[in-house]
Amino acid sequence: MTAPLLVLENVTKNYGAIQALRGISFSIGRGEVVALLGDNGAGKSTLVKIIAGGLEPSSGRMLFEGKEFLARSPAEAKAAGIETVYQDLSLCTNVDVVANFFMGREMTRKVLGVPILDERGMEQVVAKALANAGTRIPSLRTKVEHLSGGQRQAIELNRFVHWGGKLVLLDEPFAALGVEQTRRGLDMIRQVANQGIGVVIITHIMQQAFQVADRIVVIRQGVVAGDVARNKTSPDAVINMITGETLAGAGSAG
Amino acid sequence: MSPRTRRMLELVLDNLVWFMLVFVLAVFSIFIPNFFQVGIFANIIEASSVLGVMSIGLALVIIAGHMDLSVESVAALSAMTVGILFCSSGIGIGLQLHPDWLMVPVSLAIALAVGGIIGVINGFLIVRLKMSAFIITLASYIWVRGLVLVVSGGRSAQDLAPAIRWFGIQRLLGLPLTAWIAVACFVIFSLILAKTPFGRHLVMIGGNETATFRAGIRVNRNLVLAFVLAGAIAGLAGWLLAIRTSGATANLGVGLLFNAFAAVVIGGVSLKGGVGTLPGVYAGVLLLSAINTAINLMGLPANFTQVIHGLLVLAAVLLDAFKQTIRQKLA
Repeated sequence: MTAPLLVLENVTKNYGAIQALRGISFSIGRGEVVALLGDNGAGKSTLVKIIAGGLEPSSGRMLFEGKEFLARSPAEAKAAGIETVYQDLSLCTNVDVVANFFMGREMTRKVLGVPILDERGMEQVVAKALANAGTRIPSLRTKVEHLSGGQRQAIELNRFVHWGGKLVLLDEPFAALGVEQTRRGLDMIRQVANQGIGVVIITHIMQQAFQVADRIVVIRQGVVAGDVARNKTSPDAVINMITGETLAGAGSAG
Repeated sequence: MSPRTRRMLELVLDNLVWFMLVFVLAVFSIFIPNFFQVGIFANIIEASSVLGVMSIGLALVIIAGHMDLSVESVAALSAMTVGILFCSSGIGIGLQLHPDWLMVPVSLAIALAVGGIIGVINGFLIVRLKMSAFIITLASYIWVRGLVLVVSGGRSAQDLAPAIRWFGIQRLLGLPLTAWIAVACFVIFSLILAKTPFGRHLVMIGGNETATFRAGIRVNRNLVLAFVLAGAIAGLAGWLLAIRTSGATANLGVGLLFNAFAAVVIGGVSLKGGVGTLPGVYAGVLLLSAINTAINLMGLPANFTQVIHGLLVLAAVLLDAFKQTIRQKLA
């Protein structure tokens, strides 16, 4: 593996006296898919928010592409090339598919020096992106509130595939998807990784982790309880790491 | 359902308030003698200019998911400031500038600045300190009106400088320039809301603030800007109000806030945020104004207006719920 894309060194997060993260250290390489596993409340979502700029860590440091990195807002993380798909969907249901796809990066053209939304241009891009991914949505001008849960999640997934960036964080992205759509989603993740983009996926479903990940990182009680290559472990071993019955192949447990 | 009928139905639903306006105007024209005249229609537009401008600012913050109860008091303070500076009798100090026309941009800039400053205060407290917009702007509604009473001592300013008054007297195509200013504001802000990234962001912030924040939109900056705009637009409404009344009294514009809310709601803006368009709000404003005019023409006691406005707001909310059910069936 070449120089890692993102390195976390002893990242902690306290909420008052409660330690959500007690010192997380691991790294993600370019084009690598890392599955982040752990029980409810282990601190996975907190960790994702810290990388994505939604939360600031209490201590520790991160290196992104070899440089010291701290995103104070999602905008900063995005500017650095980090895309995030959250488990509660980040869609504005009151606007249409196109507006959601381009949220925050609308295409514009200048009319008398004023930026005007280029609706037609954006619609073409979205139509192409969705067609490539095999997602069918009747009208791109439909407000998202009228779409089904699966269609909504498909929009989110297509959005991250389209914008790519350098690192993609997925927080339980398949919660509302059917079997076929999940399969397609996992394909998308591989596709994205093959372009050299690092992927971190949080999931509860062991089978998905083993299907898509190169490496599996287990978090338990705010620390990394295991960091193993997929082909050197088994679902049973990972479950043991999650529940803490054994510490086989584990890092330091607080 | 064929795509064509579906599109027609969508069109009707999207512009329901305009159809209501046309319907109401048609009914009035048939049943009220002397209603169907160009002069009456011009009067409806003219009488709605102050309310219309104020409703734009209110609609912007409501669409962005917040609230601004202070617009009425802000308009009054702007009107009073302009009144005191540029009126020659009452408490007016009769400030003179040469050439005369210079008083127009100066008075307008002062009115906008007064509104903008209060907008900044509102925006800062609500967005930066994360306080409830309802409470903060309710406080502004009270203290700004108090300020009007303080600076005026409860007295009034009359005889606004003729150079400024000119906007209320000079007519173009049968409408005074003040009415054209209101129409222009609606056109400009409708375009901003529907066609620019800033407008799109406001709508999306009103729909799901968390999502827009995660998408990297500068939510706080946009929201503060919305409050500043609402304040400045209210300032413009105050400027128009001062022209219309050729001065300012301490209780100028009392009650406008509720009419503005009524217009915004009738116009299809949801108080939950994220839903509504400015052309719809203008139709709501014209609808209220048309009903006022009709009541005047029929010689009914003016007290009826309030009852009818109230019922109209109720009807608008019910209609909105009905629209939602139809849309769900469409999708």
